[in-house]
Amino acid sequence: MTLEPDRSFARSQRVMTFFRVALKNILRRRLRTSLTLCGVALGIGAFVSLVGFSDSFEQQWLKVYVNSGIDLAVVRGTFLNTTIDESVGEKLRSMAGVSEVVPIILNLIDVTPDINAVFYGWPNDSFEFSPLEVFEGRRFGADQPEIMLGEVLADSLGKRVGDDLVVQGTTLKVVGIFRGGAAFQEGGALMPLPQLQRLADMGTKVTGFHVRLRPPDNGESARDHVQRERRLIESALPGLKAVPAAEMASNNQGVVLIRSTAFGVSCIALLMGALGIANTVAMSVFERTKEIGVLRALGWRCSRITRLILLEASILGLVGGVIGLGVGWGTLRILASIRATANVAVASIPLLHSVEALAIALTIGLVAGFIPAWRGGRLSPVEALRHE
Amino acid sequence: MNEFLLEASGLTKSYDNGRIQALRGVDLRVAAGEFLAISGPSGSGKSTLLHMLGGLDKPSSGDVLYRGRSLFHSLDLDAYRSERVGFVFQAFHLLATLTALENVQIPMFERKLSARQRQEKAEMLLIETGLGERLHHYPNELSAGERQRVAIARSLANDPEILLADEPTGNLDSENSARIMAQLSSIQAQRNMALIVVTHEEEIARRAQRGIRLSDGRVCLP
Repeated sequence: MTLEPDRSFARSQRVMTFFRVALKNILRRRLRTSLTLCGVALGIGAFVSLVGFSDSFEQQWLKVYVNSGIDLAVVRGTFLNTTIDESVGEKLRSMAGVSEVVPIILNLIDVTPDINAVFYGWPNDSFEFSPLEVFEGRRFGADQPEIMLGEVLADSLGKRVGDDLVVQGTTLKVVGIFRGGAAFQEGGALMPLPQLQRLADMGTKVTGFHVRLRPPDNGESARDHVQRERRLIESALPGLKAVPAAEMASNNQGVVLIRSTAFGVSCIALLMGALGIANTVAMSVFERTKEIGVLRALGWRCSRITRLILLEASILGLVGGVIGLGVGWGTLRILASIRATANVAVASIPLLHSVEALAIALTIGLVAGFIPAWRGGRLSPVEALRHE
Repeated sequence: MNEFLLEASGLTKSYDNGRIQALRGVDLRVAAGEFLAISGPSGSGKSTLLHMLGGLDKPSSGDVLYRGRSLFHSLDLDAYRSERVGFVFQAFHLLATLTALENVQIPMFERKLSARQRQEKAEMLLIETGLGERLHHYPNELSAGERQRVAIARSLANDPEILLADEPTGNLDSENSARIMAQLSSIQAQRNMALIVVTHEEEIARRAQRGIRLSDGRVCLP
């Protein structure tokens, strides 16, 4: 009596379906299938993690505006690289619908040869301090050579309260370290507005103004109210744009750049995945030419052969997609655990992105499998049977 | 109604721009329930003729009628192969990734049968061919004779009227050859099918009710 497991019993429990035929075909070359799945998974993983990261980045921008209660940002043309004279603030304050106005400067500055950071120039009574927690030291004075560092930047620079920081030849005293706000605020620094104007040779210029509006008093919806005030500001101050917070978050140059990069890299990764499937399916059809001839001899129609091959390609795409979701989630989880990116990356994938990713995976499977499937379906049975 | 199941008339087949003539005007009639052997030396056109009778290959000229209707001009060849014809090949041509039971179900995918019905029918056919104990074995776990019996069971999956066997014993030893031919003869008699066997073995040809011999693409012995 042998103690070998009866494999045939396990086989007998399974009912033969069209799907099962396709699955068995895929599994006959396990290494090749695994490598193909890796290719698709990397493509989908790149898509999920990069798009997820760019979305998180956008959410961080939105957080800046939402947490500070900003309704509109008044800028000239594009956001980061233009300036407006500080005196425009008085005109904004005089408008009936405007409650509060603060000028701001945003400047990307090399702090050391290796580290650059966004420097924010704010008045020391700016309402934008409200979401920040100064957990060490204090807020800077009105026009003192002082600086507050975000927690992440302070750690990167190894600076604490009381230390000096030399920025572009100017010595600034570190007076506070803060957390909260958006991730890139924690990776940045806050300075008195006049100090940053001098440091950046901006004279009386600022990057723009953040505006809080008075609440609507006529039952108007918040959205309509913001849009109406936007039009009033833009007509009163020709050449300037008043951009609602959500739009500012999604359309600023940083977000657009990251989103474009994410899209481009994802496309390349997905293309590689699609080529992997196309190669695998084409090779598989070539290797199975005789088998396709047998199926045709047994009465299988061209359309059934084509469907079988397309199903195999779709399974590869979809399984690769599911693994890719795991890869993407894992990548986001790693990014969320690294201090420098912890507050930007969120280790979760929205349902919509998951569905999108799986739809893309299925589509690349179908597209990549189309030509091999079409060719396989058109094989002459007798020619296929003669194939060696 | 036409008294012949299959009628081939003036079949020719040429390759390589006419330099190779596989068939040179073959006429043949096969009645329903008849056991016909097609013999001849290698390269005489036996398999080409069989492929045409089974709707796998088209003639350069001439036609094959199935119950009086042109195979290549009036009939759906896929449906003809699926519903009317069963094939048994010399090299068995079982799908390596499927078990015996699964292989037999393959032709039934073109019929409107549930997975359970397919499985039950395949099981019955394999039991009928003496493989009831080997249902869940893969081709590489079966002997050559067993593989050919799986192929025979597969050829019967859709209850064909015509069974076409191309050198069915070509890869078998004498014992298995005799067993396979006995099985084919028995199936043909029980089901009253037309059985057309291509062979170059005279012993097998003698088992048939009628035999023709091909030489250089022509029928030389009616």
